[in-house]
Amino acid sequence: MAEPFYRANVLVCGGAACSLANSAQLATLMREEISKRGLQDEVRVVETGCRGFCAQGPLMVIYPEGLFYCQVQPSDVPVIVEETLIKGRPVTRLVFKEPETQRPTPRFKEVPFYAKQKRITLRNCGIIDPDRIEEYIASGGYEALPKALFEMTPEEVIDVVKRSGLRGRGGGGFPAGLKWEFTRKAPGSPKYVVCNADEGDPGAFMDRSILEGDPHSVLEGMALAGYAIGANHGYIYCRAEYPLALERLKVAIAQAEEYGLLGDDILGSGFSFHIHLMEGAGAFVCGEETALINSIEGKRGEPRVRPPFPVTVGLWGKPTNVNNVKTYANVPQIVAKGADWFHEVGTPGNPGTAILALTGEVNNTGLLEVPMGITLGEIVYDIGGGIRDGKKFKAVQTGGPLGGCLPASMLNVRVDFDFLREAGAVMGSGGMIVVDEGTCMVEFSKFFLTFAQAESCGQCTPCRVGGARMLEILNRITEGRGKLSDLDRIREIAWGMQTGSLCGLGQLTPGPVISALMYFEDEFRTHILEGRCPAGGCKTLTRARCVNACPAEVDVPAYVSLIAQGRYAEALEVHRERNPFPLICGRVCPAFCEGRCRRSDVDEPLAIRQVKRFMADHEINNPWTPAKVAEAKPQKVAVIGAGPAGLTAALRLAQRGYQVTVFDKLPIAGGMMAVGIPEYRLPRNILNTEIEGILRAGIELKLEQELGKDFTIDSLFQDQGFNAVVLAIGAHKSRRLGIPGEDLPGVMHGTVFLKDVALGNPPDVKGKRVAIVGGGAVATDVARTALRLGASQVHIVYRRTREDMPAWKEEIHAALMEGVRFHFLTNPVRVLGDDHVIGLECQAQQLAEFDDSARRKPKPIEGSEFVLDVDMVVPAIGQATEAEAMAGSEGISFNRDSTLTVGPNLATSREGVFACGDATLGPATVAEAVAQGNKAAVSVDAFLSGVHIERPKFVTPYHEVPQLFDPEEFAETKRAKMPELPAEERVGSFAEVELGFDEATARLECKRCLRCDLEWSEWMKTHRPVAAEEALA
Amino acid sequence: MDEDAPTRGGGRGAGLTLTEEMNSAMATVTLKLNGQTIQAREGCTILEAAKEAGVDIPTLCHHPALAGFGACRMCVVEIANEKKIHPACTYPVSEGMEVQTETPKLVQLRKFVLEMLFSERNHYCMYCEMSGDCELQNLAYRYGMDKWTYPSPNERMPVDGSRQYFIMDHNRCVLCRRCVRACDELVGMRTLGVKGRGSETMIIADLDVPFGDSSCVSCGTCLQVCPTGALIDRKSAYGGRNADVTKTKSICTFCSVGCDTEVVTRAGRVLRVDGVWDGPTNGVLCAKGRFEPLYDTRDRVTSPMVRQDGRLVPVTLDEALDAAAECIASANGGGISALATANAPSECLDSFVALFRNKLNASPAAIEPLLNGLDLPANGALADLDSADCIAIVGADPLEDHPVVGYRIRRARNRGAKVVAVAQNGASPSQLASKGAGAVSVENAVAVCRSSQWPVVVYGPGVCEDQVGQIKELAGAAKFLRLDPAANAAYAARMGLANGSAPTSADVAYVMIGEREQNGEVAQRVANAKRLVVHAAYHGPLTEKADVVLPAPVWCERDGTYVNLEGRTVSARRVLTPDEDVLPETEVLSRLSARL
Repeated sequence: MAEPFYRANVLVCGGAACSLANSAQLATLMREEISKRGLQDEVRVVETGCRGFCAQGPLMVIYPEGLFYCQVQPSDVPVIVEETLIKGRPVTRLVFKEPETQRPTPRFKEVPFYAKQKRITLRNCGIIDPDRIEEYIASGGYEALPKALFEMTPEEVIDVVKRSGLRGRGGGGFPAGLKWEFTRKAPGSPKYVVCNADEGDPGAFMDRSILEGDPHSVLEGMALAGYAIGANHGYIYCRAEYPLALERLKVAIAQAEEYGLLGDDILGSGFSFHIHLMEGAGAFVCGEETALINSIEGKRGEPRVRPPFPVTVGLWGKPTNVNNVKTYANVPQIVAKGADWFHEVGTPGNPGTAILALTGEVNNTGLLEVPMGITLGEIVYDIGGGIRDGKKFKAVQTGGPLGGCLPASMLNVRVDFDFLREAGAVMGSGGMIVVDEGTCMVEFSKFFLTFAQAESCGQCTPCRVGGARMLEILNRITEGRGKLSDLDRIREIAWGMQTGSLCGLGQLTPGPVISALMYFEDEFRTHILEGRCPAGGCKTLTRARCVNACPAEVDVPAYVSLIAQGRYAEALEVHRERNPFPLICGRVCPAFCEGRCRRSDVDEPLAIRQVKRFMADHEINNPWTPAKVAEAKPQKVAVIGAGPAGLTAALRLAQRGYQVTVFDKLPIAGGMMAVGIPEYRLPRNILNTEIEGILRAGIELKLEQELGKDFTIDSLFQDQGFNAVVLAIGAHKSRRLGIPGEDLPGVMHGTVFLKDVALGNPPDVKGKRVAIVGGGAVATDVARTALRLGASQVHIVYRRTREDMPAWKEEIHAALMEGVRFHFLTNPVRVLGDDHVIGLECQAQQLAEFDDSARRKPKPIEGSEFVLDVDMVVPAIGQATEAEAMAGSEGISFNRDSTLTVGPNLATSREGVFACGDATLGPATVAEAVAQGNKAAVSVDAFLSGVHIERPKFVTPYHEVPQLFDPEEFAETKRAKMPELPAEERVGSFAEVELGFDEATARLECKRCLRCDLEWSEWMKTHRPVAAEEALA
Repeated sequence: MDEDAPTRGGGRGAGLTLTEEMNSAMATVTLKLNGQTIQAREGCTILEAAKEAGVDIPTLCHHPALAGFGACRMCVVEIANEKKIHPACTYPVSEGMEVQTETPKLVQLRKFVLEMLFSERNHYCMYCEMSGDCELQNLAYRYGMDKWTYPSPNERMPVDGSRQYFIMDHNRCVLCRRCVRACDELVGMRTLGVKGRGSETMIIADLDVPFGDSSCVSCGTCLQVCPTGALIDRKSAYGGRNADVTKTKSICTFCSVGCDTEVVTRAGRVLRVDGVWDGPTNGVLCAKGRFEPLYDTRDRVTSPMVRQDGRLVPVTLDEALDAAAECIASANGGGISALATANAPSECLDSFVALFRNKLNASPAAIEPLLNGLDLPANGALADLDSADCIAIVGADPLEDHPVVGYRIRRARNRGAKVVAVAQNGASPSQLASKGAGAVSVENAVAVCRSSQWPVVVYGPGVCEDQVGQIKELAGAAKFLRLDPAANAAYAARMGLANGSAPTSADVAYVMIGEREQNGEVAQRVANAKRLVVHAAYHGPLTEKADVVLPAPVWCERDGTYVNLEGRTVSARRVLTPDEDVLPETEVLSRLSARL
């Protein structure tokens, strides 16, 4: 062959995802450009099979350097030719960069996506030209077939496959060698070899990649199987939806026949083997081997009852060996390299690799080949690069639509046939879909069920009817019409389908639902009992994702639209209906709403918190007097704690006509808003304005009255004549570090530190070196406050990584900007000093297995101790409720985590006493406290009216605000930036850092809102959910 | 490749040689069923073994005449050391196997399956024709279904009434597919099928056309296998439950196959004719035998009649017999032409021959052509079609004239036997022929048969002289199945009835036509007779010309034996009592004989 020797090869990925991104055009352009520059005899362009890293496609790899280019566009082609092929330099712009660090990794092998992979089955995919048998041969192909034909008996071939431990890659994991042996020993002739290439799982494309990228490996594997079992004919049943795979197979079969590697009398050995292609018509169930056989025979693709198994009665009633594409593709290497070689990878019971299609909310999606036994966490985080947009991992669905979903607590599960099954999922096709917190597990499992039940062949009763009944139930639940008994119904149906269905499709159909129910039952119950979808995924239950995400369920689209129209007072009224702290939340809310804003699917979320702040600031000079919503009532309610929860509860009760008195032990009102949040984030006058407004509802405020000291719950009822008590005492008690030296002078807890600052009694940190332990909001607040108070050095010691810090990203960034030094993966072991702190001994940590929060657990590194020379240590690792406050009061119980025990209606263990806020939640946010205050008020109201309600719902009307402008005009408008105080002006000053939007900016920003609520209103004209109370009846 | 190669036996014994079948029939295995040790035939299913041992395993999609299907999941059993449960209807017994048939788990699963079925379509039993005899309903009682766990559906499914004799009500369908399988396995027509997947699954005909517009031959086999009220017989619907009716084993007398039947009657009315599963025809009937007799609208001869003043007037039987005797006696010089239908039972033909040949020295003849004159073998049986690897059809249109034979040939063709049809003038049975075979010349047919192992030649009245010579060469190598055009032709031939196809010149004709169609052609044959006595069940062209009309009973009104195309003697039973003036033909003939 007169083929020139090329100095460089440009490999253009022709996998499914890259093809969709027009990689074929890239290859053509590349060839044209190369010819234009006269390099056609030096550089060759090859269109390969899938390289796997689909998220970054179209991909291009240039050898001999192994340069890896991502997301290559047609316009990049001349640049690549000029820079790389002529001048020998990488094009940095196209090189892969790690999402977190932005570190460029020009070489293919260094890309982390590939680092933990082990490519055996896919070894040739993306490397060789699949249309050229020579390249397969050059990479070691067709070595095994002659070896088997001339050096091995069929029994020896079966033996090596058996000893290799190769398990069927179609999902079942049945030992391939054993199946071959059964087929060989089965009476009857002729026998057949069938390759199952009916890959029908949505999102799975591993078989396709092999067929398109390395078809000969399958042909060789089938020929070996034919030789081993005594068959002369093989069938490849491939979906017609894979035209390229079929085309490549045709070419490959023709080439192999031409080379004498297939057909009659292969290589003169006397063994003949012919391979026939059968195109499937797209029925998912035809991936089931007996249905596949029926389909090849021209019958309706429906599974047959087994026994008899295909190994004895298969195609045309003859013994037939059916394996998956991946199984056959592994065989040539096993025969060529031996059984022991295969055992080098994977685990003893599961040797070899698993090929997975990783999709969903991970940074790096694509096709991976990993050693069996790798953990799910490694796949999601190390290969997948973690969850997109810094969101939280929620679940991973393995095994395609017939698999199961596994929660964060299962991230340490090893991926192989046995462990996955044990965990309640399956290996299946190898599909792996990762979802984040924004996915509703009811909706998610419904999605798979919808698919699987529609693909039921309809033959056996459990699958045909069970799937439909289960789907009806899930539909009800997602529309808020579920009943608690539905959960038992789902389990019953699942059991019936799993136990009674004729084939794997029916037996596995309930998998996604039943695993979701096993791991996320609370989410199902919330749908049923509260008519609420916590993740905001169920359309009927989600007016808009922002409303759904807000703990206080503020009608965001309504007030945002009103701001856009300049109707600020009305907007504010809408906000206050559910949350009376717009000024405060406009500053300190973590903006759950923005995290789920649909605009972020387009570009960036709407700056909801900032427009809220603008709205509230704009009206600051119009004092608010809360309206009464009911007649005055004689009953008296005591609210203990003037934080956000207590004040909200007090406000709602006062509005309902009760006589409310709020007690607080501190000299100022506001709770943690006053003594926990530093003034540079929340100025005092803002806080006071808001509290004054609330008190105008007719609430009596009694400060410096401490529960357990100045009064007790008993005394409130008995001496002061209160009819109900709301405990909103917060979580002010700082958790201890539990290390030696913790009680030395110079150790000051974070909450105390912030409180002293807030009460005008700041600790003296001038010139001192301060170490703060912890990664939450208190830690960053203390750090930034300490800097402002003149500390010379401020350290934050945190045992996990920056990504794992619970503090706001913005706060962490601000702290860094202002000069705080972070020590990640570091844990204190001892506070040093005799009579005062002179240092903090720390120990470096390393990340081990995953915990239930999908974060890796830190584990100490022995001998890594070092000392931070500091004068002050501030523990800020969490807070608890002060149990001492209950001194002298009877009948109030606590949970093990020191929160107050309450039922769903927030009633404590003592009649007439309710609790809300951090005291029941643990440290939380203003918005969450408000939500609880609203709810507690409904409960107290019901209690005082002599009604018992199990699940109080604070109901306010939705506001329909018409769309007055053309949203298309704002399609390109970008999120407005919040003006901030420059970092150098912040240190030493408690002035507010964020400066607020001006009117024009705020109104423009509001017009970016996509108005999901309008779509919902339209939808609800036909889908009205029943109230939760009705569902319970 | 030989995937199309036929296997002897077809159906359930697929792939086994006769010897293997015999061996397996003899070998037994020992197994434990619910703790009790039992013996079972090797190769039989758990269900069959249990049935023999007297253990009742509930079934729904299973039907003894059909191959195991295993889809409804009612008959599931637990087998020791098997992780999963298995359907008893398909799982073969094996030595040492331990089977449990009624564990709490199985009961729970069966209840689940029933609940699923009841939630799928409209199964409000009280409105259903099958209530009381419904297999689904019986199972529900057996497993104590006393409430709806899952809401029953509101959706109305279509009802297809486009077929003449029976209705498909999809609302009652449980998708067990017995009908589909019967249409394939028993009838070979493959008209019925399934469309859609999962809960969208529906039973359809052909490519989803109305049943009445489909290739359906209305044989009613599907109707008979349906376990619920999805397939409803128009005539017998709401006519009575099994407990209310009388069922009489009989045979169909409308062609020479002589299918076993069970005639369902109540209060002097025939409600329905069912096939008999364990008979040689596997329960299959055709529309002619199952439905058409119940829809006969011809005018019944209810009274003896004599022509007076040019008009037929009712008279007593004695008067009529006197008149008939007088007619016959009047034929001195011109002779008597005595014609009898070969559809008549053997006993009638005996009496007929006794009177006309033995007593009157006439030469009685059959109305229908008798094929014994062809000098071709008739050594075949219906079962030979099941084991044939080649079937040649010569001069016959089985689907039209002997439909059950036609279905049998379709079955053979479907399992891979080569079917060739010899080209005929006009009607061609080539719709039975194998793909690509079509209508062939007789030489071709003979050649194909010669190259086969188990050929069967099916011939009928259309076979021509020259063809006879050629197919005769296959004698010895092939089985020959003779499709006589009359139900009792074999006996008629045995009795030496002459060929009555030529017009008679006799003065007097006596025609015993029974319930046979009185077409003009038959009337033409006796047009020359001056005096005509007609012994018939119905009025027609012949009775119109008759001088004397004697009433005859119809198929369900008489006992009698027949010799079918296999040479077997089969018995028809009287299930209804005719009017008092309608006496059995033998009785009439003997009274007539007494007058002569």
